[in-house]
Amino acid sequence: MTTLSNKTHSVPMPSKSLITKLNMGTGIVFGILCSQAMYWLAKGWFDPEVPMEENRILTLAMFAWCIGFLIGIGAFIGPFRWLIGKDLTSEEQLYMAGEGQGISRYFKYCTDHKVVGIQYLIGVMVMLGAGGTMAMMIRTNLIQPGSRLVTPEIYNSLVGLHGITMIIALIVVSTGPFGNFILPIMIGARDMAFPRLNALSWWMLFTAIVTLCSAWFYGGIPTGWTAYAPLSVQAGPGMNAFIVAIIIFAISSAIAGANITTTVVAMRAKGMNLTRIPIFVIGATISVALAIPAFPTFMASQIMAAFDRTIGTGYYDANVGGSGWLYAHLFWIMGHPEVYVILIPGVAILMEIAPVFVRKPLFSINAAILGFAGIAGLSILVWAHHMYASGWSPSLNGPFMVTTEMISIPTGLIFLVLLGTLWRGTPWLKLPMLSVYAFIWNFMIGGITGIYLSDVPADDYLHGSMFVTAHFHYTLMGAALTGAIAGLAFWFPKMTGRMLHERAGYISFWMVQIGFNIIFLGMFAAGSQGQPRRVADYAQTFAVSDLISTIGAYLTGAGMLVLLWAVIHSWRNGKIAPTNPWGSKTLEWTVPYPIPLENFHETPVVTSDAYGYGRSN
Amino acid sequence: MNTSDSLTPSLGDRTRKFIKRHDVRMSFLYSSVITLVFVILGIWFYPKFMPRVMSEQMQNGKEVIVYFTVFSAPIAGSVIGIALYTFLNRHKGDTPPPDGPAIKTNTPVVLVWTIVSSLFCLLAIVWGLVEMNVSTYAATINEPKAVVVEVTGSQWVWNFKYPDYGVETQQLNLPIDRPVVFKITSVDVNHSFWPVQLGVKVDANRHAITTARTTPNALGVIDIKCAELCGLYHAYMESEGEIMTGANFNTWVKSLGGHVA
Repeated sequence: MTTLSNKTHSVPMPSKSLITKLNMGTGIVFGILCSQAMYWLAKGWFDPEVPMEENRILTLAMFAWCIGFLIGIGAFIGPFRWLIGKDLTSEEQLYMAGEGQGISRYFKYCTDHKVVGIQYLIGVMVMLGAGGTMAMMIRTNLIQPGSRLVTPEIYNSLVGLHGITMIIALIVVSTGPFGNFILPIMIGARDMAFPRLNALSWWMLFTAIVTLCSAWFYGGIPTGWTAYAPLSVQAGPGMNAFIVAIIIFAISSAIAGANITTTVVAMRAKGMNLTRIPIFVIGATISVALAIPAFPTFMASQIMAAFDRTIGTGYYDANVGGSGWLYAHLFWIMGHPEVYVILIPGVAILMEIAPVFVRKPLFSINAAILGFAGIAGLSILVWAHHMYASGWSPSLNGPFMVTTEMISIPTGLIFLVLLGTLWRGTPWLKLPMLSVYAFIWNFMIGGITGIYLSDVPADDYLHGSMFVTAHFHYTLMGAALTGAIAGLAFWFPKMTGRMLHERAGYISFWMVQIGFNIIFLGMFAAGSQGQPRRVADYAQTFAVSDLISTIGAYLTGAGMLVLLWAVIHSWRNGKIAPTNPWGSKTLEWTVPYPIPLENFHETPVVTSDAYGYGRSN
Repeated sequence: MNTSDSLTPSLGDRTRKFIKRHDVRMSFLYSSVITLVFVILGIWFYPKFMPRVMSEQMQNGKEVIVYFTVFSAPIAGSVIGIALYTFLNRHKGDTPPPDGPAIKTNTPVVLVWTIVSSLFCLLAIVWGLVEMNVSTYAATINEPKAVVVEVTGSQWVWNFKYPDYGVETQQLNLPIDRPVVFKITSVDVNHSFWPVQLGVKVDANRHAITTARTTPNALGVIDIKCAELCGLYHAYMESEGEIMTGANFNTWVKSLGGHVA
């Protein structure tokens, strides 16, 4: 909750305060100044001609950019005041909450959770756009054998940057926009538990993304998003950008995770006991809670990679006793839970949507919670199934196969909950509801192909092939991103006050879903034929499968552009939305638009769960 | 009317509310058709995409995929079938539909679902473990008779050394029906050794030796690829090899200046 106790009235301008003068522009300027200063300073100490010393210079300059930006946007004014025994005045705090500042508050260090939610939404859309463009370039390069849209060097960078951009975007795609904007209102809170940390998590993510983009100017990242060592240690200066971006992102996601969990634990409205919490809130909380232990290992792996690259330690260098397997373990101890960090909130959104459009209670919410918790619990015990073929310990392949295949049981519960909700209903197939069906189809394929990959003899053949690429796109894009887009269609009226353009939404939905299935069914075929993943060129055998995938990619890309048009058009000129267009029973639909600063004029009291639909026979 | 609902209804009432004969019949029909389609795709269509089977290991991998598809077809079929049935039953119009039956949960259904999916999971686990151990065991007891090939990955070529024959080459030729043990390493970054038609794959790591075992059982050309992104020319780190008769293999070894035991 903001530290303001009572809602106000007119907006006082703390005219003498530094806070009023800082925004994204001052952040960028100060960030660039800091990084340049650090660059010149470090260049005095180290020789940029020596690769290891160049890595030092760039890594320091990139960290300086991140810290400089945060200072320049005013992130540390509060903590600095505490150091000198003061705090922000109430006028300053109100100013930071951004009330009455119109569009400009979206470019400031704003503590209002709704502003942070919109910032995340725009940020995610930009990342998906960039990642999607890279995907189009990858598919165009693979349109036929021997085609050379880009050089192998640029191709490898495209693969890596497409991967990591999309992974970061998908990690925040649901819990960022909806976890910040919708979740606090859904539980009847006035804001997040730590509004300043909320702003900090978003702006840190922003600095990480900018840092990641800078990789293009330093030769890209030739390692794929997994950044396996020792390839990453050998890689050029662009790799520093990856390392710094991941370290900053890990801190940002830890802050966001702590914030969301605390908010849900401590700030629910009166009467919202554990059995009355909406399923999206539960899903988002389990997801970010799973991220809290997972991401630090990713951060540690990158810190060690940075040491190997900048000061010559040998964590991953087999010549001096290190091991690439160490990196693979650290990476996948994060990497597998991370898949579910992405998936669970997307599924939870669909579980939130289904009862509203079928007008039936969510079927067996306990099974849903058990499913999420089971998946989250097991997901930390399965990481080495990514390493069956690495040879690190063949005798442990069996145990990891057992834990991995056990995940199919809680995953089955997710299907049960959705099917049980649909069962005997007459669904209202609005845009959000269509995604529930798309999810069932896509995740069924993603799930079953996952069972093949979890099996060692089949994985011996399929590992490292296009089959794997197709499998995880079915789960991450077909399931998690579909859920997030459903969330956008569902909550768009509450977030923007306008209805999403319906016809464009339908057109986009079918183009994206059909195109998506064409891409990745084609890719399953290519992988089964024996095409390795991440190849810039391939043999004639795979030509038909790859051509089909590329055609599907263009259809998907065009569908995403239609969605982008729909979002921009509707945001500006869409039909004005009623307070509760879908007739939903969760709390966020009770507040008017524009939503007041602290959401509720009167704190709500919850007397039942949010799924009380249905007649008695 | 709602008051009667708030009283605890009997199990029979709840079951009757959950199961309406027409819904079950139609869902079953859709599910059966979709299951059949998946089974046909799994048995007949999908294997066409897999390359030629040239070893027992490849046969195992392929069988696992085909059998798993057949086993999972009824589950996928019923999920998609039920979803499709409700999809076709959709509410038309611009206002929300009337409320459906207030089914909050149904314990027998949840239990049956969980038990069935657990049994499927158990089947997959047992099947996988047995297949894996049979393969490994067969390869291990055959090891004394095996041809040893030391495989070295480097950016971006595969190098093959036959220590028993005193031959070193970039072409992987092997005699048919004799077990092979690949001892794999790398001189730089990670690679992944993938003789496609032999159905095995193991990473090549610097200063570590990993092992893969297989027994080629068909004559013909094999493709060797790298399945781990290893830098600039990863896509081109591939070569061809051949499974040949024992006599031809010996001739080939001699042509490279090696000795036949």
